Amino acid sequence: MAGEAYEILALLMRYVFVLIGALVLLRAYRWMRRDARNYRREMRTLPDAGLVGEIVDLRTGKSQPLPREGDMGASRECDIHVRGAGVLRHHVRFAFEEGKGVMITPSRLGKTFLGGAQLRAPGYALHGTQLQLGDALLRVRLFAGLKVPHPVAWQPEEAAQDGGAYPAPAAEEDQYIDYSGADTTPSPFEFPRQPEEEAWAQSMLPTGASPMPPSPPQPNGAGSQPDYEGHYTEDGEMTWKYAYSLEELYKAQEALNHPPVPEHDEVNDEALPYQSPAARHRRRGRR
Amino acid sequence: MKKEKKSASRRPDPGKAMLSAIMAFFFLGFLMLAVKDGSWQSCLLALVVPVIIYFGTAIIPKIFPADQLLLSLTNFLCALGVLTLYRLSPQRGLAQAVNYGVGVGAMLLCILLVRYGRHWKGLTVLMMGGSLFLLALPLLIGSEKNGAKSWINIGSLSAQPSEIVKLALMLCVSYLLSHRKVVLSVLFAGACLLLLMVQKDLGTALLYFGTVLILVFVATGSKLLLGAGLAGGAGAAVVGYQMFAHVKRRVAIWIDPWKDASGAGYQIVQSLIAIVNGGLWGVGLGLGNASVIPEYYNDFIFSVILHEFGIVFGLIVLCMYVFIVVRGIMIARRSRTVFHALLATACASLIALQTFVIIGGNIKLIPLTGVTLPFISYGGTSLVSSLCVIGLLQGVASVNEAGVREDRHLAMLSGGNMP
Repeated sequence: MAGEAYEILALLMRYVFVLIGALVLLRAYRWMRRDARNYRREMRTLPDAGLVGEIVDLRTGKSQPLPREGDMGASRECDIHVRGAGVLRHHVRFAFEEGKGVMITPSRLGKTFLGGAQLRAPGYALHGTQLQLGDALLRVRLFAGLKVPHPVAWQPEEAAQDGGAYPAPAAEEDQYIDYSGADTTPSPFEFPRQPEEEAWAQSMLPTGASPMPPSPPQPNGAGSQPDYEGHYTEDGEMTWKYAYSLEELYKAQEALNHPPVPEHDEVNDEALPYQSPAARHRRRGRR
Repeated sequence: MKKEKKSASRRPDPGKAMLSAIMAFFFLGFLMLAVKDGSWQSCLLALVVPVIIYFGTAIIPKIFPADQLLLSLTNFLCALGVLTLYRLSPQRGLAQAVNYGVGVGAMLLCILLVRYGRHWKGLTVLMMGGSLFLLALPLLIGSEKNGAKSWINIGSLSAQPSEIVKLALMLCVSYLLSHRKVVLSVLFAGACLLLLMVQKDLGTALLYFGTVLILVFVATGSKLLLGAGLAGGAGAAVVGYQMFAHVKRRVAIWIDPWKDASGAGYQIVQSLIAIVNGGLWGVGLGLGNASVIPEYYNDFIFSVILHEFGIVFGLIVLCMYVFIVVRGIMIARRSRTVFHALLATACASLIALQTFVIIGGNIKLIPLTGVTLPFISYGGTSLVSSLCVIGLLQGVASVNEAGVREDRHLAMLSGGNMP
């Protein structure tokens, strides 16, 4: 009797198992579609995704996006296509390394110069570094915010003495431009400023623009005065009414990337006539 | 504000709904077995397995960087393996549950390796040497099983080194190809294949060959290399057919298993009978007699699933594998570096090939080869290595996510996308 009951139960449960399996599959499919849609939307708001900067050809003035890694050379297969006499099909290989810069690995045959010195072993290019492949003269430009050493820390003359290429920079924390933390962020409003610097900064502003903020108060309290665009805290730090905190910036970016999509928009429903999915598809195709 | 909240609540989170469905599936499955045999172990599993699935799918991504969809599908397949094995052989089912736990731990390690691994050059050299040593080990101290000398026994434990080397091969070949070292990568893969041929482990050799061929084509885009690889593979298959008697036998069985239905063709004939008996909806969980198929817990577990759950459910399982592979390709396409893209491609290809080879063998689409069905078949090394493959894939997904976060950060600093 118990066996028969179990048999009936098992026969019924076959359909339940198939149903649950189909449900899991359907959910997975919807999840994948939603994820792909969100990713596409996010990539539209991040046109520079996957890039670390650009390479500018100093002779033609044309720039090409610089991916995280790839090849530079005369071949069309290369990620950075360079024209010029003496440029090999695959002239150098580059790879961005966090904390170090763009590592340039030269080929054995071609002539490569990094910052004026001939490159025979892998070397690192930083923001503003000049790169020469054969006759082609290029400049590396990196995005602000990347964790790379400050270019000032390595002078070409010093590097040239060390074997003709930039040595791998030592990972010292104080040499990085780290924009993630407010404490280490270098700012055009860095204080204290010299009077001549202040005058120069004022002269650089366009006519009618707000004047540069004044120097902050000294620790002893002398010269402490609130101004019309910002104010000072007791510690002498300046806060600005238009300066966003990092959290606010993140929130704003998130809001931009994932705007809330109202399910029922009355205004749009009235303004736009209904279109069948097929018609919409045709319209997209035409675009 | 209220309207927004309402619309958000109306749209169900596919992750939560999917997780609930998976947990319900295994709760009901083990509960049915508990009703059938009345054992406390089944009752315990009805509670424990859904909890493990919840932990593995919802909690792990909060602690470790992981792709939740991939985890959900993998957990479903692993738990399905435990359920099927427990129904046929409770001892094997429990052992598989333990292997599953070990595999999840190994998967987490693989995620961390890919996410935070830096010195790949040194690691590659180390793995290449280690792989060749491990593959040579069964030839020295190994034991023969089903015609292949690919197992080593350490005390009461037995392991198949080729399953571990599979991971190293993917990592090494991806790294070498990302640095345009095509010849070296092909030489290394060739050496591994040679050792596998000597072991007569042709199923695994086929997987290695297919994965490396796909990787070389993806990395170089050379049709010439692809053609040469396919021609070489065909040549090796002909040589293998001439050299090994068991290959000849398997091809003969594949062409006509009914010729020797009670002898050499017994396995495949029983498998086909079980599938036909199951029909579209299956005979019902616990009502089948699929244990008459030799190696039902290993090579023929898909036939057991078709027998008890039906062909419709079998197609659903097949679709899950397809989803895992598609997800792997998506992860590869989103990668920021060539190495990560190739690694994700290798993982997706390996899962696709392995699934095709064993399911094709089960349903007599291609000659049967001795490989396991990923995540479901019984076997510690196989399950752990399959979960490690998913771990590598998860690691690449996590690196991609970190890349997108960095891009967002850079875009924010540039001010171009700020409102």
